[in-house]
Amino acid sequence: MSKTRKTVLAVLLVLIALALPLLVNEYVQQILILTITYAMLGLAFAFTLRVGLPRFDIAAWWAIGAYATAMLMWKADMSFWLTIPIGGLVAVLLGYVAFSVLIPRGMMVFLMFGMVLTLAFQQLFGSVQYFGGWGGTLPIPPPSIGSFQFVYKGSLYYLGLVLLSINLLVYWALYNSKIGRAWNAIGSSLTLASSMGIDIVKYRIANTLISNFFVAVAGSYFTACTLVAVPTAFGFGNSVYVMMYAVVGGLSHSLAGPIIGSLVITFIPEYLRVAKEWEPVITGLAIILIIIFMPSGVLGLIDRWRGKPSSPWTRWIRIKRRNRTPTEISE
Amino acid sequence: MALLELTKVAKHFGRLQAVSDLDFSVEEREIHSLIGPNGAGKTTVFNLITGTLPLTSGTITFRGEDITGLGPHEVAQKGITRSFQQTFLFMQSTVLENVLVGFHMQCRAGALHEFLHTRRARRTDDDCRRQALEIIGFMGLSGVKNEVAANLPHGHQKALGVSMALACKPTLLLLDEPVTGMNPIETSEMIERIRKIRDSGVTIILVEHDMKMVMGISDRTTVLNYGRKIASCLPHEIRQNQEVVEAYLGREDL
Repeated sequence: MSKTRKTVLAVLLVLIALALPLLVNEYVQQILILTITYAMLGLAFAFTLRVGLPRFDIAAWWAIGAYATAMLMWKADMSFWLTIPIGGLVAVLLGYVAFSVLIPRGMMVFLMFGMVLTLAFQQLFGSVQYFGGWGGTLPIPPPSIGSFQFVYKGSLYYLGLVLLSINLLVYWALYNSKIGRAWNAIGSSLTLASSMGIDIVKYRIANTLISNFFVAVAGSYFTACTLVAVPTAFGFGNSVYVMMYAVVGGLSHSLAGPIIGSLVITFIPEYLRVAKEWEPVITGLAIILIIIFMPSGVLGLIDRWRGKPSSPWTRWIRIKRRNRTPTEISE
Repeated sequence: MALLELTKVAKHFGRLQAVSDLDFSVEEREIHSLIGPNGAGKTTVFNLITGTLPLTSGTITFRGEDITGLGPHEVAQKGITRSFQQTFLFMQSTVLENVLVGFHMQCRAGALHEFLHTRRARRTDDDCRRQALEIIGFMGLSGVKNEVAANLPHGHQKALGVSMALACKPTLLLLDEPVTGMNPIETSEMIERIRKIRDSGVTIILVEHDMKMVMGISDRTTVLNYGRKIASCLPHEIRQNQEVVEAYLGREDL
């Protein structure tokens, strides 16, 4: 694609994103807000997958962010804007404690512990009365700037768009730096990366902590939209969905993939309201079909249709399969 | 003092003694070749030195410093890098991208600089690129620097593996069969380059099957068989060594 066409496309997409809430009703706006939250989570998943770690603990850190905002605003009357970085830092600190133990022990331990962690946090928030119990926290006031309150769905959508852009900007800057290069190397071959002097554990921890921060930010945003934090909202199923956003969008596109994926997966069920109880079944079936027939996701399909050579990151992940050797360090 | 010293090094995989009781030292600025029949434990020795495999027992010192039990990246940071026997590259990346990964240790502008893409980060990155191109030129890969590694002919892939190890600016370079599968011209070019690398002050340990190459290039030769050292001598003395000839050719051929 030529540079002008690329710019035109980018401007067009931004305009669509900006105009979208004006064109749809409040119900669809609500879904869009959810999509933005999920997109942020999906981005974090794709981000950590770059160092070869599939995350299944996203819902846990999402809950941390959500509860940090809810509790601080409920118990301490803090401003919403302050709770965003505080929630993020809490997730980073707790994450550091957990990951510095888990990550040196390899991918499987990390993955398993992530699942358990989700359940543990959910149980903690549910059974400790201080956090409001299984019924959730008391409602908090909506975030505000001066006298303007983010009550309308439209305004919350724009708030989400700003947060999402910050996510994208940070991730983009990291992917295109030397740090990103080291991450790619780790993601494609641990043996080769470490023989080049790359400290795998250090780089993996740094990666997971950055994505933890943004997952917690997504949690704060989610609370700003729902105004309560309820433990059942942060079940393990969310982590699986988050993985689906990245996979369906296309794993080779770490930035656009999760956004496209979350749009597809959030909107499919909304338009498949055949019968409420059948909806998860149909969604699940659709996802299975997508994985079987378009393993490289929606964007991968577009790439193939345009006859475009694979992106650098696709190339990186393919090596993983090719480079297996007897001397490979086990994960 | 020897640059690298292995003392009573052993590596057992269950009952299999891949390397046992190995004493082995490498002097500074020499090309030391490690030879032996298939399965003698040569590559295992490389894996032990680089920390890819943990030792069962014994110690390894490098420049008088104990490096036993360090992880592969720490060993690399001490200045020991390796090329792999299997063509082991980032196959879907270009030659230049591959070599740039090797510059990971040198081009440090600080994480914040790199994240913000400051001028300093860009300058170090340009510097890395320039040096990477130099190495690519030295290894004779200038013509294919933007080719994807998977599309390269075998000889070039081997050369790329060595380039990546060189990019780490090693003090000690471990080359695992660098000329296997190369044609005679490529082989002699590679020999010439290995000599030049040694002359620039890098010590080299070489694992190789090509005896002609070993004889021509090595300053010293160590022979392994079944994980044990059976000889350590000058290359031309190897032919006279009874045990070595037996190991290679079998008794009948004597």
